[in-house]
Amino acid sequence: MSTALEVPPAPATSRRGSLLRAELHRFRSRRMVRVLLLLAVLGFVGGVATASTQYAKTSPARVAAAEAERQQILVESEGYRRQCLDQVGGDAAEEQCGPPLTLDNLGDLSNFLRPAPFRLAEDGRNGVVAVAVLTAALAFLLGATYVGAEWSTRSMVALLFWEPRRLRVMAAKLTILAVLSAVLAVLAAAAWLLAARALAATRGTGDGPPGLFGELVGSAGRGVLLVVLMSLLGFGVANLLRNTAAAFGFGFVYFAIVENIVRGVRPRWQPYLLTENTLALLQEGGLKIFLNESFVDSTGAYQTGGREVLVGNLHGALVLTAVTAVVVAAGVVLFARRDLD
Amino acid sequence: MDVIEVRGLTKTYRRRRRPALRALDGLDLTVGSGGVHGFLGPNGSGKTTTIRALLGLVRADEGELRLFGRPVPKELPAVIGQVGALVETPLFFPTFAGRLNLQLLAETAGVSRGRVEECLELVDLRDRAGERFKGYSLGMKQRLGIAAALLKQPRLLVLDEPSNGLDPAGIRDVRELVRRLGADGHTTVFLSSHLLAEVEQVCDSVSIMARGRCVASGPVSDVLAGRSSGDVRVRVDDLAAGRAVLERAGHRVSDDDGALLVAGVQAPADLTRLLAGSGHWVSELTPVAVDLEEAFLALTADAVPEARP
Repeated sequence: MSTALEVPPAPATSRRGSLLRAELHRFRSRRMVRVLLLLAVLGFVGGVATASTQYAKTSPARVAAAEAERQQILVESEGYRRQCLDQVGGDAAEEQCGPPLTLDNLGDLSNFLRPAPFRLAEDGRNGVVAVAVLTAALAFLLGATYVGAEWSTRSMVALLFWEPRRLRVMAAKLTILAVLSAVLAVLAAAAWLLAARALAATRGTGDGPPGLFGELVGSAGRGVLLVVLMSLLGFGVANLLRNTAAAFGFGFVYFAIVENIVRGVRPRWQPYLLTENTLALLQEGGLKIFLNESFVDSTGAYQTGGREVLVGNLHGALVLTAVTAVVVAAGVVLFARRDLD
Repeated sequence: MDVIEVRGLTKTYRRRRRPALRALDGLDLTVGSGGVHGFLGPNGSGKTTTIRALLGLVRADEGELRLFGRPVPKELPAVIGQVGALVETPLFFPTFAGRLNLQLLAETAGVSRGRVEECLELVDLRDRAGERFKGYSLGMKQRLGIAAALLKQPRLLVLDEPSNGLDPAGIRDVRELVRRLGADGHTTVFLSSHLLAEVEQVCDSVSIMARGRCVASGPVSDVLAGRSSGDVRVRVDDLAAGRAVLERAGHRVSDDDGALLVAGVQAPADLTRLLAGSGHWVSELTPVAVDLEEAFLALTADAVPEARP
């Protein structure tokens, strides 16, 4: 530091500062973010490549072979049934040996096509849900590591030397995270829809009920909402605990332990669990949950019972939004009020 | 206008399973514009809490705090652009390069990239600015922290132990830099340091903290004079006769390595007159100076212990 101790007379500010621009730069410069996104891309490409090997387009010859296999099973089944009837004999034979197997019992012909054809209506829809769930998990990690690293390095405090309005700092970080996670979710969903259409065209069929594509886009849209909420939830938990690893641990304990305990001990609370609401949000028409309401009565006898409830898309969205809002708000309020070391 | 004004600042930290800690106890502090102001005090005296309150990181329980006449924290956003700070250890992303760490801060306030390069040059880090912060030595980290504090070309530069981790050449350069900044007519440097010699060499004025209060403040020379004992070292040819003259006049005199040490002298010239009147010619008359370390130790020891809640 001996060469130039003179303070240069350069202008201190040559352009307007932007917290959002700085936050965007900070986010995309994080190595952890880059590694997670690279792994996600590799995982997606690998998954689609693997899927492409598991499906094959139908041909008259493959359909004929599947049909033959199905008929063979019917013939063999009927043979076994006749043996059974002969051995048992009498009036009880029909009851013991059961009715004859029918084509309806064997299900769709596609079940006998190996590899099966890719069906956009079914596999494409499942893929939308799977991609949304995996992207949401990634978004939770990104949100948690984004703010957790700021706390562990205490660069959050250094930032306040430049922008002391804490709510503004938090708002900038949350805005960047929400926008980037939405972009990530849209890209992931779009990539899957394109991949699904390609798989349907080359390895199966795009046939489906009317309005199938609109339904898929609707599911993907709900997936985008889920991804944004999970990124904010990860951010909120890490911001409350001020540590990335603690946020991951909290997530593991909640999903692996707390939810299972609740399902066993308080089944009525299931419609308010994050996993159930995630599936309810993503699945077309929501999620049906069977609430086990069996109990031991006053005489000690076990009484079975239960009912099925439908957790709709809107319910799922509202519960997830409410939980995320509470966690994020708690972290922001504490950040705004607490003394910082 | 005063750069820093603190009136009756009180801060108590509530701690789990331990008694509350009163870090600031009605602190009054004023730092005028320009120059280098030293901020001294033993560990736990409230220096860091004061700096954190100045920067809006800690909320005071009572009292007023102003920067450039603006109340803090309410109007801190209006003046933060004129304040650069290095508080304790530099706070940067370890996996980011030094340059990137500065650029991220610069973008927040609209500081140009050219200014980033200038500040890196200023602390002699330009050649290593592409390396990750976590690979830096302690001294390099400290220098990057100083560069960050200078990015805004602040009117108030708050430096908390800036020489930490620096080698002797680095310490010398930081002192030189602080001196230059304090003398540039634009910057006021508020320097918290444990190195009393550093403060004495560099600072124009000083405030000394003890138990959450400011126990002395003003130009360094005034603070030292305030703690002066009034002792004077006197040398005459006949020490025994001279001592007898002085003691007859009511002075407390002791031997001091070939001279006499006269305690509590209000007017040293009186000794000259007294001795000359008795035929003893004075060959040395030296007021015994108090250095900052002695003043610091005396002041912080003098502070009356407060009953802690």
